[in-house]
Amino acid sequence: MRTEAPRRYPTYAPKVPRTWWLRTAPFRRFAAREFTAVFAAAFSIILLLFLFALSRGQEAYEGFLRWLGLPAVVVLLAIILVALLYHAGTWFRLSAHILGRREASRGAVIATLVAIWIAVSALAAWVYVAL
Amino acid sequence: MAGSAVITEHSLGDILEESDAREVRRSRGPRRPPLLLQLLRPEPMFWQLFSAGGFVAALLLPITVAVLLIEAASAPSEALSYERITRLADHLLAKLYLLALISLPLFHWAHRFRYTVHHQFGVHGLKGLVAVLCYGTAIAGGALTVLVLLGI
Repeated sequence: MRTEAPRRYPTYAPKVPRTWWLRTAPFRRFAAREFTAVFAAAFSIILLLFLFALSRGQEAYEGFLRWLGLPAVVVLLAIILVALLYHAGTWFRLSAHILGRREASRGAVIATLVAIWIAVSALAAWVYVAL
Repeated sequence: MAGSAVITEHSLGDILEESDAREVRRSRGPRRPPLLLQLLRPEPMFWQLFSAGGFVAALLLPITVAVLLIEAASAPSEALSYERITRLADHLLAKLYLLALISLPLFHWAHRFRYTVHHQFGVHGLKGLVAVLCYGTAIAGGALTVLVLLGI
């Protein structure tokens, strides 16, 4: 056991309320940005269940697809999609803030990332649906 | 270890005096470990995975969710048929793609959620425990993905 030595000078410890991140709009946007990761992880788990059902055979897989078609799951997927689009926007903006001004202007970095996003999305959609 | 190195030639800093010497002398700060050991330290390693996961979640996940959403909301189509998906998932490249698609966003979540616990939920202690639980969940998820992929 260690006894607390008396402090020689007062320290300034501001009291921050637990809900500080709800107070202003930028704080709320920050909290929302951080929370999008929860939806990304939720989708990772859905994908993992998808693959697990696939590994269990045709019947399990088709049962999973029926679960995926439930209205509640469709709504959940729509919420995940909105969260991920918000994540993509904020992520590109963050990248531009880190790279921008040193290598290129922030606008140029964001434009490049959006162009890559469109190309990658088109390629992935083609693989998912038509390959 | 400091001071054990034999200096074979004088640098300009050894010849100059006082503040002038301090300006040009080689830094004698703590020696960094070799590059490989630096890369294997947990914090930069998890940060790399967080960053990679952020890009996967931004570039690849929205279209994946959108396709799955459209397929789930509409009548069953040929695209998600058992035969077609097993044929696609049979390829090694597809398995590696799926591993990245599932595990990297989990590492992204682990890093952000770790700080969400401290900043938004107001838990100010237990930093080590929270980190182990978050990164541990991501590692477990990645291992589980590998197991499931090997079973397809």
